[in-house]
Amino acid sequence: MKTNRLISACLLAAALGIYTRAAADTLTIVIEDIRDASGAVQVQVLAGQAQFEGGGAVAQFLEQAVEGTLTITAEDLPPGEYAIRIMHDVNGNDELDANFVGMPTEPYAFSNNARGMFGPATWEDARFVLEGEVTQVISLVH
Amino acid sequence: MKRREFSKLLALLACPWPAGALAQAGDADWSTQFAQALEEFPWLAAWGNIDRDRYASDAAVSGRWPEELRGTLYRTGPAGHEVFGYRNHHWFDGDGMMHAYRIGGGGVRHEARLVETAKLKAERAAGRALYPGLAAAPPGAAGLTGPDDLNLANTSVLHHHGRLLALWEAGSPYEIDPDDLSTVGPYSFAEPGGGLSMRGVPFSAHPRVDADGSVWNFGYASAAGLLVFWHIGADGSLRNAGRVAVDPMTMPHDFVVTERHLVLLLPPFHYRPQANATGFLNMHQWRPEDPCRVLVVDKNDLSSHFFLELPAQWVFHFGNAWEDSAGVIRFDAARAPDPSIMTETFTEIMRGNPDYGRAARHHAYRLDTRARTISEEAMLEPEIFTEFPSIDPRVSCRQYRKLVFLSQNESSPAEHGTLNEVNLFDIESGRRDWFRYPDTQIPEEHLYVPRPGSEPESEGWILGSVFDWRQGKQVLNLFDAERVADGPVAAAELPYAIPLGLHGKFVRG
Repeated sequence: MKTNRLISACLLAAALGIYTRAAADTLTIVIEDIRDASGAVQVQVLAGQAQFEGGGAVAQFLEQAVEGTLTITAEDLPPGEYAIRIMHDVNGNDELDANFVGMPTEPYAFSNNARGMFGPATWEDARFVLEGEVTQVISLVH
Repeated sequence: MKRREFSKLLALLACPWPAGALAQAGDADWSTQFAQALEEFPWLAAWGNIDRDRYASDAAVSGRWPEELRGTLYRTGPAGHEVFGYRNHHWFDGDGMMHAYRIGGGGVRHEARLVETAKLKAERAAGRALYPGLAAAPPGAAGLTGPDDLNLANTSVLHHHGRLLALWEAGSPYEIDPDDLSTVGPYSFAEPGGGLSMRGVPFSAHPRVDADGSVWNFGYASAAGLLVFWHIGADGSLRNAGRVAVDPMTMPHDFVVTERHLVLLLPPFHYRPQANATGFLNMHQWRPEDPCRVLVVDKNDLSSHFFLELPAQWVFHFGNAWEDSAGVIRFDAARAPDPSIMTETFTEIMRGNPDYGRAARHHAYRLDTRARTISEEAMLEPEIFTEFPSIDPRVSCRQYRKLVFLSQNESSPAEHGTLNEVNLFDIESGRRDWFRYPDTQIPEEHLYVPRPGSEPESEGWILGSVFDWRQGKQVLNLFDAERVADGPVAAAELPYAIPLGLHGKFVRG
């Protein structure tokens, strides 16, 4: 289990001003079905619908890929509603490769293993409440 | 594309496939409704279900199967209409089944096998229907990662450079072993120049084979608002690919190719994404007050294009097209006033409600690429409805004068109410040579098969199957293309009937 490069989570959350208490909670993210040890796995923890739809992340992790499962722990996050977005940059070109019509050709996933119906996964599909200790087990979409 | 664009990219994820008034899943038991209706209308068996994954039998032949007619008629179509008790809510949502009618030595052997798509495998592993279709979603439907999650490989066939592909409308072709009809898997054409991946890029069901043996096709990516164009060499490799942004997107099913251009009709069936849609058709809106856009693309520069307009109309299928030295294109199409046959008829039939929508009449179009004008006129008498146009493959994308199609005469409909005649129509003379099937038989697509060594459109046969609902048998019929009214010159009768399929290709050899 690794804890890595939690980027200014509390600071960002404070700046967003959307949390009512400052207790530190722990989010464990278990990423499954990593089929290739090449490249890097990027994980974004998104605080609220605004970040999910607008950009930015309350915490961001960059891990060397391993075949199988990767576990990441985000500590000291304020309780609240979050979503997670994951991509596996298999060829290490610092891009999420896409096909001719813009659909990703590298693995990705959302919290709750959310998938869209006839469109992308929505905030409603991907959101979860962090209070105390929460574990999200997420399988990459290939 | 940089990481910060990740979410923007993901926003493009969507499924361009296939509904009207939306039937919520779990609503009344469609299987029961269909079974009840079948008692009253036995011909509805043509939209029934398969009872096994594979079929194989030597056919009982009659008449004279010509010695020089050797080869295989490959056909696909929606066949698996019930998934673990859930009856699909649209004809086109059935799991695809590939057929091979192997003809030679005076005999005919038939084999058919379900295409093992990712969807079929996932649903069998789960033990239930998982995925939404055109008109509805089963209870507890799974979310989607892209169009290929729904790929049914059930619409048409391409046999190119020795490779047999089962085609769907909005996803990858599925490669099929031509000998035992087993499923190899989704097929991806090679990367084009520029290094962009074509994996999972939609490849529509009606590619056109050009005079040089190369293949043209298009695909629509609804959420991305893009039409994609494919050009595949005679050697099977991807020669070129292009994109044209279309707003609003629609659902083009077929297109035509001339000496210099690709032509698509874009009916005003506008893509309108909705977060909670459970079927693909209901993400579209028919706007009869809007024009049918006509997109004309330069074959030599896929980024070069222009739009023209026609009155609102719906076209599934074109016959052929050609272009003269003055840049005037002529083409033909089975033209319906609206898409109700798809949005209503093909949904209602699945619960045994034979309520036919507005059918297609055959039209001839004249498109002047220099003056940038287009006009259309009816090709046949107004009481003749048509569908499934086909041509002598030797005149594909070139000047032509003969069309094969199925029809129905509005003044004398069959008991089953759908198409019941096979035709060879001479565009120049206006002569229509046709044969009417008995009411107990519903014809499937009929194809023109050239007689080896003959001149184009001079000698050949018309080959096509019928669903005989009274006998519970499929029958493959062969006509002399020059004497259609005489009826079949040979027939091959199977000991079983498989639900109505869609399109096929005859492969010599």
